[in-house]
Amino acid sequence: MKKLLLAFCLSAVIGPAWAHHSAAMFDFSKTVTLAGTVKEFQYTNPHSWLQLLVVSPDGRTVEWGFETEGPSTLLRAGIKAKTFRPGDKVTVVANPMRDGRPAGSWISATTADGAVYRLRPGGPPKGAEPRSKSAP
Amino acid sequence: MKQVREGWRAEPDISRLVRHWSAVGVAIAGFAIAPHTTLGQNYLPRDAGSTANAADKPAPNTPIPSYYAASYHAYQKMKAAARGGTRYTRETYAKMPDWSGVWTSDPRDGLKFDPEQRGNGFGGPLGPVTAHLTPRYRAAYEAKLRNIAAGNEWDQLSDCLPAGYPRFLTEPFLREFIVTPQETWWINEQQSEARRIYTDGRGHVPDDAAQPLWDGDSIGFWDGGTLVVHTIRVTHGEYQRSQPDYSYQTSTVERIRRVDANTIVDDVTVWDPKGLEQPWHVTRHYVRVTNPGSRIDMWSCEQNNNVVRTASGGSQFILPGETVKIERSYKEPNTFYLSEVQKKLFGEDEAESNSK
Repeated sequence: MKKLLLAFCLSAVIGPAWAHHSAAMFDFSKTVTLAGTVKEFQYTNPHSWLQLLVVSPDGRTVEWGFETEGPSTLLRAGIKAKTFRPGDKVTVVANPMRDGRPAGSWISATTADGAVYRLRPGGPPKGAEPRSKSAP
Repeated sequence: MKQVREGWRAEPDISRLVRHWSAVGVAIAGFAIAPHTTLGQNYLPRDAGSTANAADKPAPNTPIPSYYAASYHAYQKMKAAARGGTRYTRETYAKMPDWSGVWTSDPRDGLKFDPEQRGNGFGGPLGPVTAHLTPRYRAAYEAKLRNIAAGNEWDQLSDCLPAGYPRFLTEPFLREFIVTPQETWWINEQQSEARRIYTDGRGHVPDDAAQPLWDGDSIGFWDGGTLVVHTIRVTHGEYQRSQPDYSYQTSTVERIRRVDANTIVDDVTVWDPKGLEQPWHVTRHYVRVTNPGSRIDMWSCEQNNNVVRTASGGSQFILPGETVKIERSYKEPNTFYLSEVQKKLFGEDEAESNSK
């Protein structure tokens, strides 16, 4: 029973809103999937960011940023400072920004070898609803 | 799972105890309460051999403002029932509860003050708050929720300020308990925030030397393996994002204990004459973190903080390559991080206090 309890806790601790800021800028009703090349993995507090260079359909390269948790939480999910290195090919699933800028709240990241680094179950959290209709 | 939950209820319900004690023992501790007054203090060291700074040790039963009376009475009654508490020393340290290791708030408690409140608090709507708010604090809470619904929410954490107590209890991330005979530190890695709970017999800081503190002024005693804590003089704030506010008159009594190898429970009762019509009792849970390599490091909030406040009071990112013009004016130290609703609410509290 205790093992079950701990397993539940460790999976639930990696929710989307363990944040030092409001989450109102994200649209939890939508997800985006983007494949690109790692520019930088900022393994930092209060949040880590995975910066990904993504080639858009018109041929432009756009830098996307995906916000996730700080190092101690990532480490517990098996994500280390060198898990994502510059030049790595990665596919990220995220909740995008409401205002359309190239950033999002990280749901999962899949590396070229097929390893999936998931911080929470796919899609919006249970019960999540948009808190605003437009960008603040 | 059910067994664990039942185990949490094994301890006496603090709210029932508080009601009982309030009925029979208000007068006993009343001598210690004096509104905005202090008596002569004795700062001489009480514990031979203590390394604590003697000047930081107010006398037991140092008078404190009357708005803390109800919680202090409850605390004093618990202390009397525990015959003054269990005295631990350096020599008997091995008999103290072992709360070593790394802990975190039980995720099932959610990002809300009362785990019994519906909803999880993760980007989704919460159910009705379980606190009995005063009309003024309820109106402010409803105004806050309207602002959030409009996308305008700011968190003082985004200013790299601490969560402050009692919000401290709700925060996730890694925690440690540093237990010693003289004091216990309860640390959360976020902002490297630490509560210091003095168990060396001292009283609260006297009124003429006190000020609101982010994590309050906490004294406590050990009732066997339970740490009983009385906290006053907090800085006004909010219980959590999307949660009500609390005033500077807030005080709490906690009973903190380890109920099994992997669970620490904190029974918390909150008094707030400004914000609550009756004490608010909640039970929070903390679970042991067993992942290899989990450890607490210095938390530098400014290292990667690109959140800025919008003109409408919301939160937004500055992304790589972006430059925003921020109109920066003088930051009034006690209010710059508050919402307009909070400024009005806490301003009214202060005006009322000053008028007396």
